[in-house]
Amino acid sequence: MADLKLTDIKKAYGNVTILHGVDLAITDGEFVVFVGPSGCGKSTLLRIIAGLEQVSGGDIRIDGQSVTNVPASDRGLAMVFQSYALYPHMSVYKNMAFALENMGLGRSEVDKRVRRAADMLQLTAYLDRKPRALSGGQRQRVAIGRAIVRDPKIFLFDEPLSNLDAELRVATRKELAALHAEIGGTMIYVTHDQVEAMTLADRIVVLRAGVIEQVGTPLEVYNHPANLFVAGFIGSPRMNLFPARVADAGGVAVGSEMRPIILPSTGHAVVGTDITLGARPEHIDVVGEDQADIVITLDLVEQLGGETYLYGSTPGLPQLTVRQHGQAAYDRNQRLGLRLKRDALHLFDADGSAIRIR
Amino acid sequence: MLRGATRIIDWPMEGLQRLIGERRMPYVFLLPNLAFFGVFVFVPISINFLYSVTGGPALFPAERPFVGAGQYAYLFDCGSFVDPSSCREDHFWRGVSNTLRFTAFQVVAMVLLSLLTAIVLNMKIRGRGFFRAVYFFPVLLSPVVVALIWKWILQRDGLLNAGITGLGGDKILFLSEPGWAMFWIIFVSVWAHMGFYTLILLAGLQAIPADIYEAAEMDATPRWRVFWRLTLPLLWPNLIVVIVLALIRAVQTFDEVFVLTGGGPGTSTLMVVQYIYETAFSNQVQNFGLAAAASVVLGIVLFALTLAQLAFSQRKSS
Repeated sequence: MADLKLTDIKKAYGNVTILHGVDLAITDGEFVVFVGPSGCGKSTLLRIIAGLEQVSGGDIRIDGQSVTNVPASDRGLAMVFQSYALYPHMSVYKNMAFALENMGLGRSEVDKRVRRAADMLQLTAYLDRKPRALSGGQRQRVAIGRAIVRDPKIFLFDEPLSNLDAELRVATRKELAALHAEIGGTMIYVTHDQVEAMTLADRIVVLRAGVIEQVGTPLEVYNHPANLFVAGFIGSPRMNLFPARVADAGGVAVGSEMRPIILPSTGHAVVGTDITLGARPEHIDVVGEDQADIVITLDLVEQLGGETYLYGSTPGLPQLTVRQHGQAAYDRNQRLGLRLKRDALHLFDADGSAIRIR
Repeated sequence: MLRGATRIIDWPMEGLQRLIGERRMPYVFLLPNLAFFGVFVFVPISINFLYSVTGGPALFPAERPFVGAGQYAYLFDCGSFVDPSSCREDHFWRGVSNTLRFTAFQVVAMVLLSLLTAIVLNMKIRGRGFFRAVYFFPVLLSPVVVALIWKWILQRDGLLNAGITGLGGDKILFLSEPGWAMFWIIFVSVWAHMGFYTLILLAGLQAIPADIYEAAEMDATPRWRVFWRLTLPLLWPNLIVVIVLALIRAVQTFDEVFVLTGGGPGTSTLMVVQYIYETAFSNQVQNFGLAAAASVVLGIVLFALTLAQLAFSQRKSS
């Protein structure tokens, strides 16, 4: 176990800059998830930490020691690859024992560690099998086992669940969470799946175009997105965002179709400036038209069983998404009055930064 | 237009399929190739076998007396198989002995050098594309051209001796001293064919996923161990193909050696195929029967090697 400190990490391939100076500190035993859209630099950052890519600038410290110029093999980290990267000609046992043999450990110690990891990951019955004779989920567990046996300073996971089917992904996600609780190592996990980020992370790092947009606990990031990008990226369905204007102290006007909304505070927003109002789909209530902030016409109703998604539109505003608990019976083209929950709204100023109103 | 064209092809095929059934259709498509193979391969093999069990100088099989296994008995009539001079047909056994020696050294050198070259060409080196092309160029040359180029370099008054005498040394008879002659035919043959095997091994190396090496790096694997425990086992199927193909080709070797040394000096570089050719066509007494028997023996060896290659490549694909 170890802590990690990244200072001004830069990475460029020729003229293309992937990372624009990333600063991040990860404490011992923390589970940190890097999340962001494709091409945001999250995998590159992980590979830089691993030592599989060289930085163009900046410093990496593990337990206070700079490892920026230390090769991957000497950093004492373990990585679980998206493709598993198991050695195809070796048995599960050999795959897990390989790194330990490299370390020069005795046979009995190797055996003890491999069997303990296999036991933890329910792989004992498959130790003699070759990777090709395993299912995707089992292969992933072998890859994790290969990391565990080494007792690394930091575990690195590069989108480890993305090759699994939906059901297995949920199951393996839970196993990973349990594993972290059990062995408690420092873990860094890259994903583009926000559900994985929300469920696994102690802290989420949201990246976009090589820049950290926000670092925080899952609920911090969800409840207080630092900017429009994070607000739109975290949360599914996406947060509804409306162009708005600060009408007067405490009042926000959205388009011409929506009644002015009185908020407890509009923070530092100046009266008369253009802002963006954000409301998560679950923070919109269906009400009678007389109490409604806005009246929409339903375009589409998605029944998910446990909840219902309503998609509706009104002239002059982007399409709205409303999440209703349970199975709500609505028809397409039906008119619907909506009221935004005042205490859960978000405001963003003209450059997209969040305005604190709570 | 295209639809009309495919209809024209479809129409007789559909009729035929109705007539003979779907299960027999693959044989219809195989038939042209089988017919070609039959006429140009199977029929000559059969005729060759017929010659091998007949004797006498006559060319037409009908005029040749049946001798059964007589030709084979003559070939295998040896005091000791390790001493060609103790055999009645000592040239055949000289050829066998030379071919074995040539094959052993040539295949080992070929495999090791093409493996080394493939590994180097798989690294991120400057001018990689250029070198990949350079190593493959000799493969494109006809064996006779290869032999003529090297003969020009190696002969008594050739380029190499010009260099040696220029430096004040004495001329070396590269092609007319038995030891040197064998060395150079092996060298030239490796030079000419290495590119082909390098290509197979390079393809094999490139098929090994890069993330396996990254995993090995994360596992702190020393470089030699990466080679022995990962690269070599993962390349093994390609290596087997290379070894068997090189064996088959070495056993068949003829043209380069024939042009370069003509089998000499004496019989020191005489190969089995050259023996067969000379026995049948260029000796004063043309002995078709004996040559045919020798080629049946050679054919059996090549057939066994081909089966081995097929077995290995099937195992690879499964």
